[in-house]
Amino acid sequence: MKLLVTLVLTLLFLALESVAAKYVGLGVARIDVTVAIVAFLSLRAGLLEGAVAAYAIGYLLDLMTGRPTGLYTLLALITFLLGRVAASLMDVRSGRSFALFAMAADVTHGLLAWGISGVSNNQMAVSSLSGLPLEVLLTGVVALLLYPLLRRFGLGAEKRDPGLLVR
Amino acid sequence: MLSFVRRHREPLLVCILLAHALGMFLGSSRRVREPNVIDRLALAMTAPVQRAAVASIDGMVNAWQQYVSLRSVRREVGQLQTENAQLRADVVGLAEARAENERLRRLIHYEEGNPGPKVVARVLGINPDPNRLTLRIDRGEGDGVRRGQAVVTADGVVGQVLRATASAADVLVAFDPNCRLGGRVQRTRARVGVSGAGEDQALKLEYLLRSEDLEEGDLVVTSGTDGVYPPGLVVGRVTGVQRQTSGMFLNAGILPAVNFTRVEEVVVLAPQPAASVPTRVDSQGRR
Repeated sequence: MKLLVTLVLTLLFLALESVAAKYVGLGVARIDVTVAIVAFLSLRAGLLEGAVAAYAIGYLLDLMTGRPTGLYTLLALITFLLGRVAASLMDVRSGRSFALFAMAADVTHGLLAWGISGVSNNQMAVSSLSGLPLEVLLTGVVALLLYPLLRRFGLGAEKRDPGLLVR
Repeated sequence: MLSFVRRHREPLLVCILLAHALGMFLGSSRRVREPNVIDRLALAMTAPVQRAAVASIDGMVNAWQQYVSLRSVRREVGQLQTENAQLRADVVGLAEARAENERLRRLIHYEEGNPGPKVVARVLGINPDPNRLTLRIDRGEGDGVRRGQAVVTADGVVGQVLRATASAADVLVAFDPNCRLGGRVQRTRARVGVSGAGEDQALKLEYLLRSEDLEEGDLVVTSGTDGVYPPGLVVGRVTGVQRQTSGMFLNAGILPAVNFTRVEEVVVLAPQPAASVPTRVDSQGRR
């Protein structure tokens, strides 16, 4: 059920993000709402539940790009798993710390996307990273705003298993 | 083996997911994937949300733009109202200037038709003394205005200068009871006396024998015999002719040609030559 809520929320935010991008004109820098949600899942959800949710979220993001390549599905999963590793090293409880956590996740996500797509296309242009700082900043702001909402919906609110990747 | 799978079920499933995602990514570089049922379902779910969001944002943007345009329209209306008031004031001023221009033009025509020394003056006001119906003009002795001079407009007789100071003068208007002038019925050339009726801005026609021909609407002009007004100035038109059964003279009124309440500029004429002063002539032609 929580997975379904997560997916519906993700779809809603993706739809709103695409509309916002249309009006604000975020051609270069976009808001990674999905990264914020994945970061939240990595903090709160269990391994399997979070991984499935991250996979689904990545899949939806892929779908929304118009030309699904599976890149964002893979990246969402990797971000989730790396987030879990990071979450075991720090304590994220407030909205501000979550925003910073989401920004770090977005940096990772952005660099991975740039690196993987660059390797696959044989084009590693650094100039394509020019929008990343603004993107990270916007994602941080959105994460700060979304934090109470994600908590209210109780995404991944069940007791976390103590292990990192293993149970 | 089975116990290993059971024990590490979740990490294994995550690895499968990861492998699937990687395979999907690697596979998609060779061909573009056709949308499946899940894709279609997800896209079908997002479309209404996007449509609603766009409609909402468009609605808010439109409302804001209308609000802004309404504010600008209100500001513009205020400016236009101010401008309109200014223009209306200008129009009134222009109408006034045009009327003045018309009056001055008529005075110029009068000047051309009646050569001789004269002073053009502007009416400053009406004196408040009810016993003396006088106008005050802005020319006085300094401009050559003297007591007794005739005051006229292009329409006709106004009155005569009652007194003059250095820079202004009072004009006794023709309908004052104390005002007398010599007239002539233009149609019959009959000489008449004209005096002020003192009320309703009317004049009285005097000293015309009952037997004389006089009709309503006959034009009365100055005769030039009073030593004040030159001959031929319009006095007014005959009205209310009454032929009594007794007495020598008939009674009639004269409707002045000049509307005294609307006089704004006048011409003060130079004193008439002594020859025009009415004189008695005996049967031998001696004065």
